[in-house]
Amino acid sequence: MKEVFTMWRHTQMVVLVALSAAIYAAVLIPFKGFPIIPGAIEIRPANVFPFVFSLLFGPAGAWGAAIGNLIGDFFGTLTVGSIGGFIGNFFLGLLPYKLWGAFFRRGNMEPNPNTAKKLAVYVAIVVIVSVVCAAIIAWFVALLELFPFTPVLILIVSNNIIPGIVLGPILLIALYPRVKRFGLLWTEIMEPEEVSAPRFQTLGNVLVWVGGIGALVAGLLIEAGGFGGGVTVGIALIPFLLLVVAGAFLLGGREQVEAAEEMMAVEEGPEARTS
Amino acid sequence: MDPSLYLDRDTFVHWLDPRTKMFLLLGTFVLAFVFLDPLYLAGVMALVLLFGYLAESLVNLRRIWFILVAIAVVSTVLWALFGSGQTPLFLFVEREPLLYGIAVALRIDITVVAGMIFLSVTRNEEIATGLARLGIPYRFAFAVSTALRLVPTIAATGSTIGQAQRSRGLDLESGNVLERIRNYVPLLVPVFISTIRSTNVFSMALESKGFGAGQKRTFFLRISFGWRDAVALVVFAAILGGAIALRTVGYGGLEGFGG
Repeated sequence: MKEVFTMWRHTQMVVLVALSAAIYAAVLIPFKGFPIIPGAIEIRPANVFPFVFSLLFGPAGAWGAAIGNLIGDFFGTLTVGSIGGFIGNFFLGLLPYKLWGAFFRRGNMEPNPNTAKKLAVYVAIVVIVSVVCAAIIAWFVALLELFPFTPVLILIVSNNIIPGIVLGPILLIALYPRVKRFGLLWTEIMEPEEVSAPRFQTLGNVLVWVGGIGALVAGLLIEAGGFGGGVTVGIALIPFLLLVVAGAFLLGGREQVEAAEEMMAVEEGPEARTS
Repeated sequence: MDPSLYLDRDTFVHWLDPRTKMFLLLGTFVLAFVFLDPLYLAGVMALVLLFGYLAESLVNLRRIWFILVAIAVVSTVLWALFGSGQTPLFLFVEREPLLYGIAVALRIDITVVAGMIFLSVTRNEEIATGLARLGIPYRFAFAVSTALRLVPTIAATGSTIGQAQRSRGLDLESGNVLERIRNYVPLLVPVFISTIRSTNVFSMALESKGFGAGQKRTFFLRISFGWRDAVALVVFAAILGGAIALRTVGYGGLEGFGG
């Protein structure tokens, strides 16, 4: 996860954080007037952006999603729940790019879902990352006993998955070539040594899935079975959320930067990397 | 339309150091969670509203009133349905979860109103400088303040692009939910591209002005912690301490709620 911190050395990445956050917030704010659970959840077509930002801008997309969501809250819904929103949206922007590398061997890892396999991987990532984000936010508001776990979880999952699957592939196919032409892909800006190398990548992938699905099932069962309220849910879900964090540490990301360098060398000829 | 909540007034709250305002905001979040009895929480809400009145910022309540009302209704209904208690009221609704729902509604409304007051009395530049002076890395604070500043610009760009696309026949209102969401593509792509394409120029402009060149930064906006800040923090600490003491000796709780 060191790229989450080393990215701040690059002015371009700092600017991408600011612009991503501003775009996300600017599209979130007009929908503040359509709350599903007021003060916590509203209709959010803007939720496609964290997936897109993540795959294009990597760690800058993660920070952009977190800050953008917080700024969105600045326009009328800044509450203690905004802390959970910040963390949940950070993972919504962090996990897609980290998981993407786990599904592809060396070669063409471009986050452009223009093949059946890449589209299927993209959809799978949207599903699990939406569940993780929803579990984090629902866990946080349940722990504080602000809202019951179940309705918040279901609404956030659907709020993330629908725009992510309906709009995401179209946006990525439309935007990827342009962002690449601008030279703004995170794999082109960051150096391999600034990005964490994958360790037990498959295990990391499995941990994210087990942690996310486990948190969802455990939270729903505890509440539906009447085993306890928010604090019980909050304590019971901690091991599952820790699995997600551990998975994120194992997933890496350096392989994508190296693959992008190899692709660039092939496209531009042998002298491109030495000039 | 200006989406910013900031109100340029000349009150003692506006004069406070942004770091003091941040501590007061966080302290209010804590205060909202001390009590569970709706009566005590109503007292906390009255205090917050009094503070907002002194800050001449309650006019912004007009912009968020529907959120506050909706929170009250949804929270009360949700907890009345999902919670369990001991005293039947009517049908399957019990007294304790109903009171708990009202308490939670008040808790959230208190934090929303406190957040609104904070944003009404604090400029974006003050938030960024305050974050940096609190020890948050400058580049992070810069990203937050730049994003805050760019939101109205991007919203205006989105509005212009929306009008242009509608004049070419874009219909955002027709179709089922999925079709309506898909209709946003001709809006989102140009908004994204028109914003992101400035990244390289923006980065070069920053670096040409020495962004990140020196270890120690100076700020155009100077903030300082004065006697007003000390008084505000001491008074608030006394209120928070009193509230915690009351709760510790058994006041302000809610008996019989089963979650």
